Amino acid sequence: MQVRFWGTRGSLPVAAKAATVRDKVATALVAADGRRFADEAEARVYLETELDFAAAHTYGGATSCVEIDVGEGAFIVCDMGSGLREFGLDSLGRCAGGHTREWHFFLSHLHWDHIMGFPFFVPAFVPGSKIVIHAGHADAETALRRQQEEISFPVPFDWLKADIEFRTLVPGQDYAIGAVTVSLIEQHHSHLSYGYRFRDAAAKVAVYSTDSEHKIDRMEGEADVVAFFGGADLVVCDTMYSLADSVSMKEDWGHSSNIVAVDLCHEAAAKRLALFHHEPTYSDADIERMHRESIRYEELTRGAAPLEVLCAYDGLVVEI
Amino acid sequence: MSGGTLNWRIDEREGARIAAPAGRVDESTATAFTERLIGEAGAARTMLVLDLSGIAYMSSRGLRALTLAQREATRSGSTIVLARPNETMREILAISRYDMIFKVADTIEDALAG
Repeated sequence: MQVRFWGTRGSLPVAAKAATVRDKVATALVAADGRRFADEAEARVYLETELDFAAAHTYGGATSCVEIDVGEGAFIVCDMGSGLREFGLDSLGRCAGGHTREWHFFLSHLHWDHIMGFPFFVPAFVPGSKIVIHAGHADAETALRRQQEEISFPVPFDWLKADIEFRTLVPGQDYAIGAVTVSLIEQHHSHLSYGYRFRDAAAKVAVYSTDSEHKIDRMEGEADVVAFFGGADLVVCDTMYSLADSVSMKEDWGHSSNIVAVDLCHEAAAKRLALFHHEPTYSDADIERMHRESIRYEELTRGAAPLEVLCAYDGLVVEI
Repeated sequence: MSGGTLNWRIDEREGARIAAPAGRVDESTATAFTERLIGEAGAARTMLVLDLSGIAYMSSRGLRALTLAQREATRSGSTIVLARPNETMREILAISRYDMIFKVADTIEDALAG
C-alpha cells in the first residue's frame, strides 16, 4: 500500500509568496558557505541532506486530498480538497498507461475545503470515467451539486460527462470496495465528519481521520477512536491546533491537536502517525517546529513500542 | 483508561488549597485524576495550587483535566496555579502551549504570591 498526499493544508488553500522562496534561497546560499556544486543533482543532494526540511522545501498549501494506492483496482481517494486538481491530471496520465478509469472517493465531510477540488477534477469531464462518491453524509450529492450552481461556478454538475454515483455508508459496517475493505466512524465536527479505515489484501491498514475534535468533556468516548485506530500501519490525523488552542479560543471549531493524536495512536498501538490538516496561518517553519515538538512529546510519553511521527506535506508518499 | 489512582497530599496555606498528587497521569490514571482534581478545584476558596513536583509526566488527558478543573474553579470563584513541574512536565506544558493558558510557578511561594 502507498499513501500519497496531494493536499495537506486545513481550511483554506495557501501559497508561498515570492519573499518566502527568496528567503529559502538566501538561507541555502548562506548555509552552503561558498561551496561549489558540479550540477543541479549535486545541489539537490545538499538541500536534501544538509538543510532542514522547512529551509529547502515547503509543506505546500493545497487542501485535503489523500490517495490510497493498493496497486490494483480503482483509484481510492480521501476528500476532494484543492489537491484533487493535480491528482486528477496525474491519474489521467496513469489511465493512459492502462489504469482502470474508475475513481472511488471517501468524503470526511462536506465543508468547502474538502470538496472544492471537484469542479476542477478533469476526469469528471471525460466520457467513460466512472466515479463513485462514498460518504457518511446522505446529503453529499446536494453539497457537490450546490457548489456548481451558477452563482458559484460556471459549469453545472449535470454537464459533467463521467458516470457519477453517490453511496451513503453506515458506521460500524465493513465494506468490500474494489481491492480494499473499508469501515468508517462518526467524528465530532460541525455537520459531523467521518474517519475511514482501509485494509488491503495484505492486511495493511491506513486510517484517515481529519476534522475530528476530541471533546474535552467526552474523553471516555475516545475508546471508540482508539479501537478504530487499533494496530494501524498509518494514521493520518487532524493536528491543526495546539492542545491549548483546541480547549480555549478554538474549542468547538472541530479540530484536534498534535499531542492528542500522539496519545490516541500510542493507546491504539499504531505504527505511524502523519500530522495533517495544517493550520493555514502556519509558515513552513511553524509546521516544522510543530513536527519536532510532536516527536519530542512522543518520546516523553512513550510506553511500549515507539510511534513514528511523520509530518504530511503535499507530495509526500508513504510506503506501508 | 480508568482504574489507576494517584496518591494526593492536601494542604492549606495563606487561604489557598495546595494539592500535590504523585505518579504518572496517563490513560490508566486520568479518570481518577480528573475527578479528584475537579473536586479539589471546587473545594478551593480562592486559589488551588497544583504542586506538580510528584508528577512524573502527564498525557493530554491529564492536561485536559486541568482545563476542566479550571472551569470548575472559575465557577466557584477561584483559580488554579501550577507549581514545581519537573523538566519533563515543563516540556509537555510548553509543547501543548498549556504554559500560555496557566500560570506556572517555580515554587509554592511564587504560586501563592500570585
